[in-house]
Amino acid sequence: MKKKTNDFELVENLPVECQDPEIKAEDFVLATQNEDIHEQRFVTKPTTFFKDSLKRFAKNKSSVVAAVILGILVLLGLVVPILTDSEARTPYNTSKGPEDTTSYMNLEPRLFTNAGGFWDGTVKKKHIPIDTSSPDESQWLPDPIYYKPSGISDMKISNVEYTNVANKFGRDGYLRIGYYGQYVDSLELTSSEFNDVKTQSGSIIEAYRLDLATTQLTIDKFETVDADKIRLYENNNEFDIPENVVLGKLGLNFNYSVFETVGGIQTLVDHEVTLIEPKVLHNTGTELSGYSDKDPINLNALIIEKTGLTTFENGHFILTVTAPEDAPEHANVISLIKNLNFSLNEDAPDMAKRYFLEDNGTDIPGISFNNAMTMASRTSTMTEILGTPKNIGFWAIPDLQRYVETVYLGKSRYADFTYDTYEGQLGVQYMDLPSSYIDDYAALDYLTYSISVTKTATGYVVNSFKMTIKDTKHCPIVDAVTIDDIYNVDKQSGKVIFQAHAKVYKYKVLGMTEMPSYLMGTDKTGRDMFKYTFEGLRNSLALGVLTFVICFAFGLVWGAICGYFGGTVDLIMERITDILAGLPWIVAMTLIVLKTNSRSFGTFLFALCITGWIGTAARTRTQFYRFRGREYVLASRTLGASDARLIAKHILPNSLGTIITGAVLMIPSVIFSEATISYLGLGFQDLASLGVILSNNQDELTSHPYQLIFPSIVIALLMISFNLFGNGLRDAINPSLKGEEE
Amino acid sequence: MLKYSIKRVLLALLTAFIILSLTFFLVKSLGIKDTTMGSKEAVRFAFFSKQESLGFAISFDHPVSGYGKILAQFHYTDRSYYFYEKPLLDQYFAWLRNVFTKWDWGTSISIEPNVSAITIIAERLPTSLFLNVISVVISVPLGIGLGILAGLKKNTWIDHTISTLVMVFISIPSFVVISLMIYFFCFEAKILPTSWPTPDDTMQNKLLALIIPVVALSFGSVCGYTRFVRAELCEVMSSEYLLLARTKGLTKNQAITRHALKNAFVPILPAILAEFIGVFGGSMILEKLYGIPGIGDLYIRAIQESDYSVLMVDMAIFTTAGLLAGIVLDLSYGFIDPRIRMGEKNG
Repeated sequence: MKKKTNDFELVENLPVECQDPEIKAEDFVLATQNEDIHEQRFVTKPTTFFKDSLKRFAKNKSSVVAAVILGILVLLGLVVPILTDSEARTPYNTSKGPEDTTSYMNLEPRLFTNAGGFWDGTVKKKHIPIDTSSPDESQWLPDPIYYKPSGISDMKISNVEYTNVANKFGRDGYLRIGYYGQYVDSLELTSSEFNDVKTQSGSIIEAYRLDLATTQLTIDKFETVDADKIRLYENNNEFDIPENVVLGKLGLNFNYSVFETVGGIQTLVDHEVTLIEPKVLHNTGTELSGYSDKDPINLNALIIEKTGLTTFENGHFILTVTAPEDAPEHANVISLIKNLNFSLNEDAPDMAKRYFLEDNGTDIPGISFNNAMTMASRTSTMTEILGTPKNIGFWAIPDLQRYVETVYLGKSRYADFTYDTYEGQLGVQYMDLPSSYIDDYAALDYLTYSISVTKTATGYVVNSFKMTIKDTKHCPIVDAVTIDDIYNVDKQSGKVIFQAHAKVYKYKVLGMTEMPSYLMGTDKTGRDMFKYTFEGLRNSLALGVLTFVICFAFGLVWGAICGYFGGTVDLIMERITDILAGLPWIVAMTLIVLKTNSRSFGTFLFALCITGWIGTAARTRTQFYRFRGREYVLASRTLGASDARLIAKHILPNSLGTIITGAVLMIPSVIFSEATISYLGLGFQDLASLGVILSNNQDELTSHPYQLIFPSIVIALLMISFNLFGNGLRDAINPSLKGEEE
Repeated sequence: MLKYSIKRVLLALLTAFIILSLTFFLVKSLGIKDTTMGSKEAVRFAFFSKQESLGFAISFDHPVSGYGKILAQFHYTDRSYYFYEKPLLDQYFAWLRNVFTKWDWGTSISIEPNVSAITIIAERLPTSLFLNVISVVISVPLGIGLGILAGLKKNTWIDHTISTLVMVFISIPSFVVISLMIYFFCFEAKILPTSWPTPDDTMQNKLLALIIPVVALSFGSVCGYTRFVRAELCEVMSSEYLLLARTKGLTKNQAITRHALKNAFVPILPAILAEFIGVFGGSMILEKLYGIPGIGDLYIRAIQESDYSVLMVDMAIFTTAGLLAGIVLDLSYGFIDPRIRMGEKNG
């Protein structure tokens, strides 16, 4: 109204020259001359709190990106485990042999082919000891157990012959082969094979031991050596180290043998050391300090081809490895001892051919027993996860000594090469094929063959054998089939049952038409990491989301009641919260897992929910305390708002931002908790989760880092997206930021 | 306020008592774990005799009914021993009697056999405490400083860098970070010791060995504080009273130091105080990975080796520390911000 008056005034007060005399007042028509003027509806569309939040959320680019990534991850978690073909590993004809997991073990990730080492299934290997026993240099190859020739390319042999290999590459350690004496059953050797031996040889086992420890033994310094790495021997009998004994008084004798040059030939010479100078041993139960040998023995001559048996007759020898200045990675200690072999006589009884592996249960490439078989292995403890060869021991069974033919340490030559894990493990290989395989291939029309045999007094003799490969695309056999052994001839059908030695495509034998390719590689049990990781992601997410839903709903109600009403209600409810909160989640989880004796999804969900809602409840309560005394609440109350309305319409929207931020982050924190407890060894039993995968692959960090990197990337991506998403949500929902333009 | 504080402390003690009783029942309901199985008979007999003297088991010279399954039996020339587990409530009262009259929390059965649990804990607590105090002293100022920086420079490259780094570091599980650090610094670069040093190690080694644990412990809390401080500061910065302060003519710095920071610190300070109480806990994963003889590592060992006496004392420490932190958190709200009246009835 006032404005109108002004307009009129304005016109009236215009300078004379601006006034248009042509336009008269009658020319003006009022637009709404004869209309009733009513209140009108808003032309703009009403918006809800939710829509408004969504609009603000959409403005936050990083949160939107995070939400998209999160969505993709969730989708992958749902889709990948279902769609990824897991059947590829089963042979198409089960009669064609057992599932061969070793062929699928530790395959490197492959996305490209021949990309020069980047994501193409190859791995660059450096400083790998090679077997130089063959006169033909082209046959100098690494141990075929670990590196199949078909996968090796670009091999460069470094022709440096180390005369002091242990000194060059060892890291503060000693190697000792010793008569272990009567073996006391203190190790947890769980293999049934071990029990066999135990029963066979009675409860006392005589054993030899070969130790590789990374602790140096020197006379100059008093080093602290783990007591369990040291065995004291007197007259070939081990004795426990009593507390604070003076070694010299015991007249302790050490026998050892070293390689020495006698008349130009390097041989093992026996030595006997008596500790003259008394040294005090402190045995604190776990550690033994003050250990000292009379003089450290440096084995400088490692290029010994063969030595006699004498070593073992008088007990043991100790090889001290001193730390060089430029020692390469510790792993070389293991790989170098590769060239130490125990050869056993062919006629040694099976008992003697057995040995067990101590430590982390993997076959240690450093030491081999020819003609021997692994008996049992002890699983590693978690502290040894990074693969430090703290204490590697071999235990040999009685009478090994008599059957040891040679103990020798060979030359050390290394090769650097590119190893294609796919070609190596699944490519062209020589294999022993039973005739049933070949029959199957013949039935599939891949090949035809004919064999005729004659029976002699000693067995069967092959008269003729002829094979023609018809389908080169599908037939696993490349060429060169020789008959190894004839077992029998079926009398009725006349079918010859034999075993052939053939050059084959391993993947075709396993039932695949083309070389498989694993995007994230495979793990040590041959599982596809891509599928396994997303399976773990799915389970982790499911656990996280379910826990979140249950805990958030419960915590919100609980916290609202607590914070809003205060007083006695608060005090009583807080006691209950306190009691549960005082129980650390790890305690609650442990107790529930121990009590229910199950490690299933349900158990973990229950255990996480027991204490999980407290965070939300506490946050809600604090926020309610913060806002319940504010003026707008008081104003609302004065206007007659009920408690429920005050909670739902006034306090909750104000505090929801903070509560949601914390609560959304509950999902990643649940995944963290689950990962942590898995890492401590109390995780899911038969179910994959990101934590389980990470802790399972922890000890592959040095050898196959991709097995940790991919799950780590997934878990980090998940966490980052969740955090960004949570923050975006908080900014969007928090009404105190309403209208703020960024 | 004083009355409320006293009430809270007393209630906390009661809570601790209830939690420990609850834990006791849960742990004891797992049964007496016979860790001596397979040992010599004398050792086994000593174990069960100890259980009897602690009031957890009972022995008769003949089999009786009503006590459930026989735990173990021994036959000597003069008499036979049949050991049974006592009822849970009997065990509970025996435990209470031992704790309150003799301060006897039982003895370890497998970690350090026949050493009292209190002694074992007392040996290890200083290590954990020491590491935690150092890491709190380092991480709190660092975290708050970064948080303030990021909050004040909101939406600049400084803020984006800090926030991104915080997000990345907070997102990677601690054991991945710790084992990567051990791998790179101890095994690859060989500049740090691979595990916790022994008491008679050189000073240099001892100092170097602190780096990984302190960094590992600080990472999380630095990131946590940075994020927390930034979030609070951002919220305060957009509030009306800060706008008012500016319109009154305060410079930006004055407004921030006098109004924004003070208000932003309302939720932050209690968290810091609580953190200082939290130093009594130990980080399980770190201590396990780095071989630190602290109470976190002890906890895991106690679970693995079923050494329930030690486990109980360890839990008691974790629980008490947590409860104390809670009280400090709550009470300090009232002290710091007079608008908040804790524990008063609403309306």
